[in-house]
Amino acid sequence: MIKRLLNIDRRIIYFSVFLSVCLPLLVQFELPVKATPNVRSVYNALDLLAEQENPTVLISFDYGPSSQPELQPMALAILRHCFSRGIRVVGVTLITEAVGLAQQAFETAAGEYDRQYGKDYAFLGFKAGGAILVLNMGQDLHATFEKDIRGNTTADMDVTRNIRSLRDFNYVLDLASGFPGIDEWIAYGQERYRFPLGAGCTAVMAPDYFPFLQSGQLNGLIGGLAGAAGYESLINRKGLAISGMRPQSVAHVLIIAFILLGNVVFFLHHRSSGPAKGTAE
Amino acid sequence: MLFLQRTLPLIIAFLAGMIGIFTYYIPVAHAVETETSTWYRIIAAFALFLGIHSLLHMHWNRMRRKIAGWGYSLITFIGFGITFLLSVYNNGNGPFQPLAEGNGLDLNWMYTHIHVAGGATMFSLLAFFIASAAYRTFRARSAEAAILLLAAILVMLGRVPVGAYLSEHLPTISQWLMAVPNLAARRGILLGVSLGAVATSLRIIFGIERSYLGGDEQ
Repeated sequence: MIKRLLNIDRRIIYFSVFLSVCLPLLVQFELPVKATPNVRSVYNALDLLAEQENPTVLISFDYGPSSQPELQPMALAILRHCFSRGIRVVGVTLITEAVGLAQQAFETAAGEYDRQYGKDYAFLGFKAGGAILVLNMGQDLHATFEKDIRGNTTADMDVTRNIRSLRDFNYVLDLASGFPGIDEWIAYGQERYRFPLGAGCTAVMAPDYFPFLQSGQLNGLIGGLAGAAGYESLINRKGLAISGMRPQSVAHVLIIAFILLGNVVFFLHHRSSGPAKGTAE
Repeated sequence: MLFLQRTLPLIIAFLAGMIGIFTYYIPVAHAVETETSTWYRIIAAFALFLGIHSLLHMHWNRMRRKIAGWGYSLITFIGFGITFLLSVYNNGNGPFQPLAEGNGLDLNWMYTHIHVAGGATMFSLLAFFIASAAYRTFRARSAEAAILLLAAILVMLGRVPVGAYLSEHLPTISQWLMAVPNLAARRGILLGVSLGAVATSLRIIFGIERSYLGGDEQ
Protein backbone atom coordinates (compact mmCIF):
# COMPACT_ATOMS: atom_id res chain seq x y z
CA MET A 1 0.00 0.00 0.00
CA ILE A 2 2.76 2.44 1.00
CA LYS A 3 4.75 1.52 -2.09
CA ARG A 4 1.70 2.14 -4.27
CA LEU A 5 1.21 5.52 -2.66
CA LEU A 6 4.90 6.32 -3.09
CA ASN A 7 4.65 5.65 -6.82
CA ILE A 8 1.15 7.02 -7.28
CA ASP A 9 -0.02 7.29 -10.89
CA ARG A 10 0.51 10.89 -11.95
CA ARG A 11 -2.85 10.84 -13.75
CA ILE A 12 -4.54 10.67 -10.31
CA ILE A 13 -2.68 13.83 -9.28
CA TYR A 14 -3.55 15.54 -12.57
CA PHE A 15 -7.23 14.62 -12.23
CA SER A 16 -7.29 15.92 -8.62
CA VAL A 17 -5.79 19.24 -9.77
CA PHE A 18 -8.33 19.37 -12.60
CA LEU A 19 -11.20 18.91 -10.13
CA SER A 20 -9.69 21.39 -7.64
CA VAL A 21 -9.76 24.05 -10.36
CA CYS A 22 -13.08 23.19 -12.06
CA LEU A 23 -15.36 22.58 -9.07
CA PRO A 24 -14.69 25.93 -7.32
CA LEU A 25 -15.48 27.67 -10.61
CA LEU A 26 -18.88 25.96 -10.70
CA VAL A 27 -19.70 26.27 -6.99
CA GLN A 28 -20.11 29.78 -5.58
CA PHE A 29 -18.62 30.45 -2.14
CA GLU A 30 -17.10 33.53 -0.57
CA LEU A 31 -13.55 33.86 0.72
CA PRO A 32 -12.14 36.92 2.52
CA VAL A 33 -10.01 38.82 0.00
CA LYS A 34 -7.69 41.38 1.59
CA ALA A 35 -5.09 43.60 -0.07
CA THR A 36 -1.50 43.34 1.15
CA PRO A 37 0.34 46.55 2.20
CA ASN A 38 2.29 46.50 -1.10
CA VAL A 39 -0.92 46.39 -3.17
CA ARG A 40 -2.45 49.11 -1.00
CA SER A 41 0.59 51.34 -1.70
CA VAL A 42 -0.12 51.29 -5.45
CA TYR A 43 -3.81 51.94 -4.82
CA ASN A 44 -3.08 54.86 -2.46
CA ALA A 45 -0.57 56.41 -4.87
CA LEU A 46 -3.15 56.41 -7.68
CA ASP A 47 -5.97 57.52 -5.40
CA LEU A 48 -3.98 60.54 -4.19
CA LEU A 49 -3.32 61.58 -7.81
CA ALA A 50 -7.03 62.13 -8.34
CA GLU A 51 -6.77 65.26 -6.17
CA GLN A 52 -4.28 66.85 -8.59
CA GLU A 53 -5.09 68.73 -11.79
CA ASN A 54 -5.03 66.56 -14.93
CA PRO A 55 -3.02 63.69 -13.44
CA THR A 56 -1.49 61.39 -16.06
CA VAL A 57 -0.24 57.88 -15.47
CA LEU A 58 1.92 55.72 -17.73
CA ILE A 59 1.24 51.97 -17.77
CA SER A 60 3.72 49.67 -19.48
CA PHE A 61 2.05 46.42 -20.51
CA ASP A 62 5.03 44.05 -20.60
CA TYR A 63 3.32 40.67 -20.55
CA GLY A 64 2.17 38.16 -23.13
CA PRO A 65 -0.68 35.68 -23.47
CA SER A 66 1.01 33.06 -21.25
CA SER A 67 0.75 35.30 -18.18
CA GLN A 68 -2.48 36.98 -19.28
CA PRO A 69 -4.65 35.08 -16.70
CA GLU A 70 -2.67 36.70 -13.89
CA LEU A 71 -1.87 40.13 -15.30
CA GLN A 72 -4.87 41.05 -17.43
CA PRO A 73 -7.27 41.20 -14.41
CA MET A 74 -4.65 43.38 -12.71
CA ALA A 75 -4.49 45.74 -15.71
CA LEU A 76 -8.28 45.94 -15.85
CA ALA A 77 -8.58 46.70 -12.12
CA ILE A 78 -5.96 49.49 -12.35
CA LEU A 79 -7.53 50.99 -15.48
CA ARG A 80 -10.98 50.91 -13.86
CA HIS A 81 -9.56 52.66 -10.81
CA CYS A 82 -7.86 55.33 -12.94
CA PHE A 83 -10.88 55.99 -15.15
CA SER A 84 -13.28 56.07 -12.22
CA ARG A 85 -11.13 58.72 -10.51
CA GLY A 86 -10.56 60.87 -13.63
CA ILE A 87 -6.89 59.92 -14.03
CA ARG A 88 -5.61 60.01 -17.61
CA VAL A 89 -3.70 56.96 -18.79
CA VAL A 90 -1.03 56.47 -21.44
CA GLY A 91 -0.07 52.90 -22.38
CA VAL A 92 3.08 51.51 -23.97
CA THR A 93 4.63 48.07 -24.26
CA LEU A 94 8.20 46.81 -24.53
CA ILE A 95 7.14 43.45 -26.01
CA THR A 96 5.29 42.69 -29.23
CA GLU A 97 2.94 40.10 -27.74
CA ALA A 98 1.29 42.58 -25.39
CA VAL A 99 -0.20 44.91 -27.99
CA GLY A 100 -3.53 43.10 -28.40
CA LEU A 101 -3.98 42.51 -24.67
CA ALA A 102 -3.33 46.15 -23.83
CA GLN A 103 -5.82 47.28 -26.48
CA GLN A 104 -8.46 44.88 -25.12
CA ALA A 105 -7.92 46.15 -21.56
CA PHE A 106 -8.20 49.81 -22.63
CA GLU A 107 -11.32 49.21 -24.73
CA THR A 108 -13.07 47.30 -21.92
CA ALA A 109 -12.31 49.77 -19.12
CA ALA A 110 -12.74 52.94 -21.21
CA GLY A 111 -16.10 51.66 -22.50
CA GLU A 112 -17.37 51.12 -18.96
CA TYR A 113 -16.53 54.69 -17.87
CA ASP A 114 -17.21 56.39 -21.20
CA ARG A 115 -13.64 57.68 -21.57
CA GLN A 116 -12.49 59.21 -24.86
CA TYR A 117 -9.45 58.07 -26.80
CA GLY A 118 -6.85 60.83 -27.16
CA LYS A 119 -8.38 62.92 -24.37
CA ASP A 120 -8.54 60.53 -21.44
CA TYR A 121 -6.27 57.75 -22.62
CA ALA A 122 -3.98 56.67 -25.44
CA PHE A 123 -1.99 53.60 -26.37
CA LEU A 124 1.36 54.24 -28.03
CA GLY A 125 2.03 50.60 -28.90
CA PHE A 126 5.30 48.71 -29.27
CA LYS A 127 8.75 49.73 -30.42
CA ALA A 128 11.89 47.62 -30.40
CA GLY A 129 14.69 48.39 -27.96
CA GLY A 130 13.53 47.18 -24.52
CA ALA A 131 15.56 48.96 -21.88
CA ILE A 132 16.87 51.54 -24.36
CA LEU A 133 13.30 52.44 -25.27
CA VAL A 134 12.75 53.37 -21.61
CA LEU A 135 15.84 55.58 -21.76
CA ASN A 136 14.58 57.23 -24.97
CA MET A 137 11.14 57.87 -23.47
CA GLY A 138 12.87 59.71 -20.65
CA GLN A 139 14.85 61.81 -23.11
CA ASP A 140 11.97 62.77 -25.40
CA LEU A 141 8.65 60.95 -25.44
CA HIS A 142 7.33 62.73 -28.54
CA ALA A 143 10.45 61.84 -30.54
CA THR A 144 10.44 58.23 -29.35
CA PHE A 145 6.74 57.73 -30.09
CA GLU A 146 5.91 60.26 -32.79
CA LYS A 147 2.59 58.51 -33.41
CA ASP A 148 0.32 56.29 -31.31
CA ILE A 149 -0.99 52.92 -32.45
CA ARG A 150 -3.88 54.55 -34.34
CA GLY A 151 -1.58 56.93 -36.25
CA ASN A 152 -2.34 60.06 -34.18
CA THR A 153 0.57 62.43 -33.48
CA THR A 154 1.51 62.29 -29.80
CA ALA A 155 2.45 66.00 -29.74
CA ASP A 156 -1.15 66.83 -30.76
CA MET A 157 -3.21 64.54 -28.55
CA ASP A 158 -4.63 66.07 -25.34
CA VAL A 159 -3.42 63.26 -23.15
CA THR A 160 0.21 63.36 -24.33
CA ARG A 161 0.65 66.97 -25.48
CA ASN A 162 2.26 68.17 -22.24
CA ILE A 163 4.22 64.98 -21.57
CA ARG A 164 7.73 65.49 -22.93
CA SER A 165 9.58 63.02 -20.71
CA LEU A 166 8.93 60.22 -18.24
CA ARG A 167 9.48 62.85 -15.54
CA ASP A 168 6.21 64.51 -16.58
CA PHE A 169 4.09 61.49 -15.64
CA ASN A 170 2.60 61.63 -12.16
CA TYR A 171 3.05 57.90 -11.73
CA VAL A 172 4.46 55.04 -13.79
CA LEU A 173 3.30 51.46 -13.45
CA ASP A 174 4.91 48.45 -15.06
CA LEU A 175 2.92 45.23 -15.45
CA ALA A 176 5.50 42.63 -16.41
CA SER A 177 6.04 38.92 -16.70
CA GLY A 178 9.76 38.82 -17.48
CA PHE A 179 12.35 40.53 -19.67
CA PRO A 180 12.16 43.38 -20.54
CA GLY A 181 10.21 44.46 -17.51
CA ILE A 182 10.50 45.80 -13.99
CA ASP A 183 14.31 45.61 -13.76
CA GLU A 184 14.65 47.72 -16.89
CA TRP A 185 12.10 50.27 -15.70
CA ILE A 186 14.01 50.63 -12.42
CA ALA A 187 17.54 50.80 -13.88
CA TYR A 188 16.89 52.92 -16.98
CA GLY A 189 13.72 54.76 -15.94
CA GLN A 190 13.15 55.35 -12.24
CA GLU A 191 16.83 55.68 -11.27
CA ARG A 192 17.55 58.07 -14.13
CA TYR A 193 14.42 60.21 -14.27
CA ARG A 194 13.22 59.91 -10.66
CA PHE A 195 9.50 59.30 -11.11
CA PRO A 196 7.34 57.30 -8.69
CA LEU A 197 7.20 53.71 -9.95
CA GLY A 198 4.86 50.87 -9.05
CA ALA A 199 4.85 47.36 -10.44
CA GLY A 200 2.66 44.35 -11.04
CA CYS A 201 4.04 40.93 -11.88
CA THR A 202 3.31 37.21 -11.84
CA ALA A 203 3.23 35.51 -8.43
CA VAL A 204 6.48 33.62 -9.00
CA MET A 205 8.32 36.87 -9.83
CA ALA A 206 7.07 38.84 -6.82
CA PRO A 207 9.72 37.68 -4.28
CA ASP A 208 12.46 39.02 -6.58
CA TYR A 209 11.27 42.61 -6.17
CA PHE A 210 11.05 42.94 -2.39
CA PRO A 211 14.58 44.51 -2.19
CA PHE A 212 13.38 47.30 -4.51
CA LEU A 213 10.39 47.96 -2.25
CA GLN A 214 12.61 48.44 0.77
CA SER A 215 15.00 50.70 -1.16
CA GLY A 216 12.07 52.86 -2.29
CA GLN A 217 12.75 52.32 -5.99
CA LEU A 218 9.33 50.67 -6.17
CA ASN A 219 6.50 52.34 -4.31
CA GLY A 220 4.27 49.26 -4.39
CA LEU A 221 3.97 45.78 -5.84
CA ILE A 222 0.99 43.77 -7.02
CA GLY A 223 1.95 40.10 -7.12
CA GLY A 224 -0.02 37.60 -9.19
CA LEU A 225 -3.74 36.92 -9.25
CA ALA A 226 -3.92 37.27 -5.44
CA GLY A 227 -2.53 40.81 -5.75
CA ALA A 228 -5.03 41.59 -8.50
CA ALA A 229 -7.85 40.25 -6.30
CA GLY A 230 -6.65 42.52 -3.49
CA TYR A 231 -6.77 45.48 -5.87
CA GLU A 232 -10.29 44.54 -7.00
CA SER A 233 -11.37 44.44 -3.35
CA LEU A 234 -9.95 47.96 -2.84
CA ILE A 235 -11.92 49.40 -5.76
CA ASN A 236 -15.01 47.45 -4.66
CA ARG A 237 -15.41 45.73 -7.98
CA LYS A 238 -15.47 41.96 -8.23
CA GLY A 239 -13.78 40.78 -11.39
CA LEU A 240 -11.89 37.82 -12.76
CA ALA A 241 -9.24 38.00 -10.03
CA ILE A 242 -11.61 37.65 -7.07
CA SER A 243 -13.52 34.81 -8.72
CA GLY A 244 -10.15 33.22 -9.57
CA MET A 245 -9.27 33.11 -5.87
CA ARG A 246 -11.66 30.21 -5.29
CA PRO A 247 -9.90 27.72 -7.61
CA GLN A 248 -6.48 29.08 -6.65
CA SER A 249 -7.19 28.64 -2.92
CA VAL A 250 -8.47 25.09 -3.37
CA ALA A 251 -5.55 24.20 -5.67
CA HIS A 252 -3.06 25.55 -3.09
CA VAL A 253 -4.68 23.48 -0.34
CA LEU A 254 -4.62 20.40 -2.58
CA ILE A 255 -0.92 20.84 -3.41
CA ILE A 256 -0.13 21.29 0.30
CA ALA A 257 -2.12 18.12 1.04
CA PHE A 258 -0.12 16.27 -1.63
CA ILE A 259 3.18 17.53 -0.18
CA LEU A 260 2.18 16.42 3.34
CA LEU A 261 0.91 13.05 2.09
CA GLY A 262 4.10 12.56 0.10
CA ASN A 263 6.18 13.20 3.21
CA VAL A 264 4.10 10.90 5.43
CA VAL A 265 4.34 8.09 2.87
CA PHE A 266 8.05 8.73 2.42
CA PHE A 267 8.79 8.48 6.15
CA LEU A 268 6.61 5.38 6.62
CA HIS A 269 8.44 3.72 3.75
CA HIS A 270 11.78 4.94 5.13
CA ARG A 271 11.01 3.41 8.52
CA SER A 272 9.87 0.05 7.12
CA SER A 273 12.65 -0.48 4.54
CA GLY A 274 15.52 1.91 5.20
CA PRO A 275 16.41 4.94 3.02
CA ALA A 276 14.44 5.09 -0.24
CA LYS A 277 16.52 4.72 -3.37
CA GLY A 278 16.17 6.58 -6.64
CA THR A 279 14.16 9.53 -5.35
CA ALA A 280 15.43 13.08 -5.76
CA GLU A 281 16.89 14.96 -2.84
CA MET B 1 40.22 38.25 -43.10
CA LEU B 2 41.45 37.88 -39.53
CA PHE B 3 40.94 41.64 -39.10
CA LEU B 4 37.26 41.37 -40.13
CA GLN B 5 36.62 38.21 -38.12
CA ARG B 6 38.37 39.11 -34.89
CA THR B 7 39.93 42.57 -34.62
CA LEU B 8 37.08 44.67 -36.02
CA PRO B 9 34.37 43.12 -33.77
CA LEU B 10 36.66 43.64 -30.77
CA ILE B 11 37.16 47.32 -31.68
CA ILE B 12 33.39 47.79 -32.17
CA ALA B 13 32.64 46.09 -28.83
CA PHE B 14 35.25 48.25 -27.06
CA LEU B 15 33.98 51.52 -28.56
CA ALA B 16 30.30 50.67 -28.01
CA GLY B 17 30.98 49.64 -24.41
CA MET B 18 33.03 52.72 -23.55
CA ILE B 19 30.55 55.09 -25.20
CA GLY B 20 27.72 53.37 -23.29
CA ILE B 21 29.49 53.81 -19.95
CA PHE B 22 30.60 57.41 -20.47
CA THR B 23 27.35 58.70 -21.92
CA TYR B 24 25.34 57.18 -19.07
CA TYR B 25 27.43 58.65 -16.26
CA ILE B 26 28.63 61.97 -17.74
CA PRO B 27 25.80 64.53 -18.02
CA VAL B 28 27.42 66.55 -20.85
CA ALA B 29 27.48 63.44 -23.03
CA HIS B 30 23.69 62.93 -22.89
CA ALA B 31 23.28 64.23 -26.46
CA VAL B 32 25.58 61.45 -27.64
CA GLU B 33 23.55 59.00 -25.59
CA THR B 34 20.35 60.10 -27.36
CA GLU B 35 22.00 59.42 -30.72
CA THR B 36 23.59 56.08 -29.81
CA SER B 37 20.46 54.78 -28.11
CA THR B 38 18.53 55.52 -31.33
CA TRP B 39 21.14 53.48 -33.24
CA TYR B 40 20.65 50.68 -30.73
CA ARG B 41 16.90 50.62 -31.35
CA ILE B 42 17.42 50.52 -35.12
CA ILE B 43 19.83 47.58 -34.71
CA ALA B 44 17.33 45.88 -32.36
CA ALA B 45 14.61 46.24 -35.03
CA PHE B 46 16.89 44.59 -37.58
CA ALA B 47 17.54 41.79 -35.09
CA LEU B 48 13.84 40.91 -35.51
CA PHE B 49 14.54 40.16 -39.20
CA LEU B 50 17.50 38.01 -38.19
CA GLY B 51 15.25 36.16 -35.75
CA ILE B 52 12.69 35.48 -38.48
CA HIS B 53 15.41 34.26 -40.83
CA SER B 54 16.91 32.00 -38.14
CA LEU B 55 13.50 30.53 -37.23
CA LEU B 56 12.47 29.81 -40.81
CA HIS B 57 15.91 28.49 -41.78
CA MET B 58 15.94 26.02 -38.88
CA HIS B 59 12.42 24.74 -39.59
CA TRP B 60 13.06 24.57 -43.34
CA ASN B 61 16.06 22.29 -42.67
CA ARG B 62 13.99 20.10 -40.34
CA MET B 63 11.36 19.66 -43.05
CA ARG B 64 13.90 19.10 -45.83
CA ARG B 65 15.68 16.37 -43.85
CA LYS B 66 12.40 14.90 -42.53
CA ILE B 67 13.72 15.03 -38.95
CA ALA B 68 11.35 13.47 -36.37
CA GLY B 69 8.56 15.96 -35.61
CA TRP B 70 9.02 17.82 -38.92
CA GLY B 71 5.23 18.20 -39.09
CA TYR B 72 5.44 20.77 -36.30
CA SER B 73 7.90 22.73 -38.44
CA LEU B 74 5.33 22.70 -41.24
CA ILE B 75 2.74 24.09 -38.81
CA THR B 76 5.23 26.83 -37.86
CA PHE B 77 5.60 27.73 -41.54
CA ILE B 78 1.84 27.76 -42.12
CA GLY B 79 1.26 29.84 -38.96
CA PHE B 80 3.97 32.31 -39.94
CA GLY B 81 2.62 32.57 -43.50
CA ILE B 82 -0.99 33.21 -42.45
CA THR B 83 0.04 35.75 -39.80
CA PHE B 84 2.34 37.54 -42.25
CA LEU B 85 -0.31 37.70 -44.99
CA LEU B 86 -3.00 38.96 -42.61
CA SER B 87 -0.71 41.69 -41.26
CA VAL B 88 0.26 42.79 -44.77
CA TYR B 89 -3.39 42.74 -45.89
CA ASN B 90 -4.47 44.58 -42.70
CA ASN B 91 -8.18 44.44 -43.57
CA GLY B 92 -7.47 45.98 -46.98
CA ASN B 93 -5.53 48.96 -45.59
CA GLY B 94 -2.08 47.66 -46.48
CA PRO B 95 1.04 47.14 -44.36
CA PHE B 96 1.94 50.81 -43.82
CA GLN B 97 -1.27 51.86 -42.08
CA PRO B 98 -2.06 51.42 -38.34
CA LEU B 99 -3.41 48.01 -37.37
CA ALA B 100 -7.06 47.79 -38.47
CA GLU B 101 -9.66 46.84 -35.86
CA GLY B 102 -11.97 44.50 -37.75
CA ASN B 103 -14.52 41.96 -36.61
CA GLY B 104 -13.83 39.19 -39.11
CA LEU B 105 -10.98 36.77 -39.65
CA ASP B 106 -8.08 39.16 -39.22
CA LEU B 107 -4.89 39.52 -37.21
CA ASN B 108 -6.79 40.51 -34.06
CA TRP B 109 -8.98 37.43 -34.37
CA MET B 110 -5.94 35.18 -34.74
CA TYR B 111 -4.24 36.86 -31.81
CA THR B 112 -7.23 36.56 -29.47
CA HIS B 113 -8.50 33.14 -30.46
CA ILE B 114 -5.25 31.30 -31.20
CA HIS B 115 -2.26 33.07 -29.68
CA VAL B 116 -3.82 34.20 -26.39
CA ALA B 117 -5.82 31.00 -25.89
CA GLY B 118 -2.84 28.77 -26.76
CA GLY B 119 -0.38 30.72 -24.60
CA ALA B 120 -2.65 30.68 -21.57
CA THR B 121 -3.33 26.95 -22.02
CA MET B 122 0.37 26.09 -22.17
CA PHE B 123 1.10 28.09 -19.04
CA SER B 124 -1.83 26.59 -17.12
CA LEU B 125 -0.39 23.10 -17.63
CA LEU B 126 2.32 24.10 -15.14
CA ALA B 127 -0.14 23.60 -12.26
CA PHE B 128 -0.39 19.89 -13.07
CA PHE B 129 3.37 19.39 -13.28
CA ILE B 130 4.00 21.40 -10.10
CA ALA B 131 1.49 19.29 -8.15
CA SER B 132 3.05 16.04 -9.37
CA ALA B 133 6.63 17.24 -8.79
CA ALA B 134 5.78 18.59 -5.31
CA TYR B 135 4.30 15.24 -4.27
CA ARG B 136 7.33 13.26 -5.46
CA THR B 137 10.27 15.47 -4.53
CA PHE B 138 9.40 18.02 -1.85
CA ARG B 139 10.58 15.93 1.13
CA ALA B 140 11.79 16.96 4.59
CA ARG B 141 14.99 14.88 4.37
CA SER B 142 17.04 17.29 6.50
CA ALA B 143 16.51 20.15 8.95
CA GLU B 144 17.12 22.71 6.16
CA ALA B 145 14.64 20.96 3.85
CA ALA B 146 12.08 20.85 6.69
CA ILE B 147 12.44 24.63 7.25
CA LEU B 148 12.03 25.22 3.52
CA LEU B 149 8.96 22.98 3.46
CA LEU B 150 7.36 24.78 6.40
CA ALA B 151 8.09 28.21 4.88
CA ALA B 152 6.63 27.10 1.54
CA ILE B 153 3.43 25.85 3.16
CA LEU B 154 3.00 29.03 5.20
CA VAL B 155 3.56 31.27 2.15
CA MET B 156 1.28 29.15 -0.05
CA LEU B 157 -1.51 29.41 2.50
CA GLY B 158 -0.85 33.03 3.41
CA ARG B 159 -0.93 34.28 -0.19
CA VAL B 160 -4.47 33.06 -0.92
CA PRO B 161 -7.74 34.01 0.85
CA VAL B 162 -8.16 30.53 2.31
CA GLY B 163 -5.16 31.29 4.54
CA ALA B 164 -6.90 34.30 6.08
CA TYR B 165 -10.02 32.14 6.43
CA LEU B 166 -8.08 29.51 8.43
CA SER B 167 -6.17 32.00 10.58
CA GLU B 168 -5.85 35.77 10.48
CA HIS B 169 -2.13 35.40 11.33
CA LEU B 170 -1.22 33.42 8.20
CA PRO B 171 -1.14 36.43 5.80
CA THR B 172 1.02 38.35 8.33
CA ILE B 173 3.45 35.44 8.68
CA SER B 174 3.58 35.05 4.89
CA GLN B 175 4.26 38.78 4.44
CA TRP B 176 7.04 38.66 7.06
CA LEU B 177 8.68 35.67 5.35
CA MET B 178 8.65 37.53 2.05
CA ALA B 179 9.74 40.90 3.44
CA VAL B 180 12.52 39.74 5.78
CA PRO B 181 14.26 36.37 5.08
CA ASN B 182 13.33 36.37 1.37
CA LEU B 183 14.39 40.00 0.96
CA ALA B 184 17.77 39.40 2.63
CA ALA B 185 18.51 36.38 0.43
CA ARG B 186 17.32 38.11 -2.74
CA ARG B 187 19.42 41.18 -2.04
CA GLY B 188 22.53 39.01 -1.61
CA ILE B 189 21.83 37.16 -4.85
CA LEU B 190 21.10 40.42 -6.67
CA LEU B 191 24.36 42.05 -5.55
CA GLY B 192 26.32 38.95 -6.51
CA VAL B 193 24.71 38.71 -9.95
CA SER B 194 25.17 42.45 -10.56
CA LEU B 195 28.88 42.36 -9.65
CA GLY B 196 29.25 39.32 -11.93
CA ALA B 197 27.53 41.20 -14.76
CA VAL B 198 29.88 44.18 -14.30
CA ALA B 199 32.91 41.87 -14.37
CA THR B 200 31.66 40.03 -17.48
CA SER B 201 30.88 43.33 -19.25
CA LEU B 202 34.38 44.65 -18.56
CA ARG B 203 35.88 41.39 -19.84
CA ILE B 204 33.90 41.77 -23.10
CA ILE B 205 34.72 45.50 -23.48
CA PHE B 206 38.46 44.88 -23.01
CA GLY B 207 38.48 41.84 -25.29
CA ILE B 208 39.31 39.27 -22.60
CA GLU B 209 36.03 37.39 -23.09
CA ARG B 210 35.71 36.54 -26.80
CA SER B 211 33.28 33.62 -26.89
CA TYR B 212 30.64 35.87 -28.53
CA LEU B 213 32.83 35.92 -31.66
CA GLY B 214 32.00 32.24 -32.21
CA GLY B 215 34.35 29.43 -33.26
CA ASP B 216 37.04 28.40 -30.79
CA GLU B 217 38.02 31.95 -29.83
CA GLN B 218 38.36 32.35 -26.08
